[in-house]
Amino acid sequence: MVDKNSCAALYPTHEQAEEAIRVLQKAAFDIKKVSIVGKGYHQKEHPVGFYNTGERVKFWGVQGAFWGNVWGLLFGAAMFWIPGLGPVVIAGPLVVSLVGALEGVVAVGGLSALGAALYSIGIPKNSIIRYETALKSDHYLIIVHGNQKEVERAHDVLAANKPTDVAIHLS
Amino acid sequence: MSTRFFDSTAVAAQLRRSPLFSSLSDATLLDMLSHFRRETWKHGRCVTGSESEQCFHVILSGRMKVGRINPETGRMVTLFLLDQGDAFDVISLLDGKPSPVTLDAKDDLELLSTPVEEARRWIEHHPEFNYGFLPYLGRQMHLLADIAGDLALHDTETRLARLILRYVDTDNSHHSLRLIHDLSHEALGEMIGSVRVVVNRQLQHWQREGIIISHRGKLVVQELDALLKKAMHHSHNAAKKPFSGKSKNHY
Repeated sequence: MVDKNSCAALYPTHEQAEEAIRVLQKAAFDIKKVSIVGKGYHQKEHPVGFYNTGERVKFWGVQGAFWGNVWGLLFGAAMFWIPGLGPVVIAGPLVVSLVGALEGVVAVGGLSALGAALYSIGIPKNSIIRYETALKSDHYLIIVHGNQKEVERAHDVLAANKPTDVAIHLS
Repeated sequence: MSTRFFDSTAVAAQLRRSPLFSSLSDATLLDMLSHFRRETWKHGRCVTGSESEQCFHVILSGRMKVGRINPETGRMVTLFLLDQGDAFDVISLLDGKPSPVTLDAKDDLELLSTPVEEARRWIEHHPEFNYGFLPYLGRQMHLLADIAGDLALHDTETRLARLILRYVDTDNSHHSLRLIHDLSHEALGEMIGSVRVVVNRQLQHWQREGIIISHRGKLVVQELDALLKKAMHHSHNAAKKPFSGKSKNHY
């Protein structure tokens, strides 16, 4: 079960997103409670794909090194083609919520599968629209799940790392 | 100047529509935003004032009910129904002490929040904030005085009429209601110190009289003058016989 409180931050580049995850790790956050969502490829940069080599899943594409590092740090990995967004790469506990949304466990009117997954972890519709718009313009969304105190601390850590947007979502 | 918002200019423009912030310059508003976090509260989130971690909040969108609850009976009285541009808890901001209120999100809420101590420090450096803050505080005190007066002096029918009149949208010829139009009868009861069945009975009575219409859970005033008479008539009676011992109060 994913915590229904979260702190979500948007970063414009994968370097900044990766740095934010490392800053959270240095600040002793439970990294298993961190998720990241990004498109993971650009129109001119395909081919793209991912494959399994023994215990590790590897990403094939221009941002392979980035997603390889992220998947090494976070818990769970997935890549989905979502109508309206295209291929979306996700790592962390949000994967479970997205699978639930795709399997129809979570159905929310007017929202994409990703939107439904975000809604199921307590993010309201207005914020979901903002995040989906940012993802379409190649931003990266980092979500820290936890209790109120944890997400407030995460906010202060992430806010210091120059996101374009950061907010706390409480349920 | 650091900012943590996707579009801080849009947030500042949104705040400027509130009397609380309308007198602040753009630079001051943006500086204020740099001290706030943005939060969302899911519809139905309910916390006590002490749980809200001594934070000063400003509502960007949605409605928040602020009330007091009797933990032994579960009865609740609503003190304020806040919406866009409102702030809470202003009393804690003044005295720095946790407030014994219950906060209940009536919609998905988007808020700004900052620790009370940080808000107090910011106000010390920006006394111009008080040009908007003191009149805002005055309006809240007037509202509290109205609630106290209604509870002590009027019967349930009058209190309900006065509550509805307080939220009639006078800019609208259809006399629709602001903020309370879709509240449950239980929530309306909590706003006048009564209960669901009494509110339900009274609204049905007024609907039969053609004073209000309740359509798909939304209230609209059809006969504003008749509702005004209800509020005034009972006030007049209450003033004549303040302690008659035969109270019309249903609760």
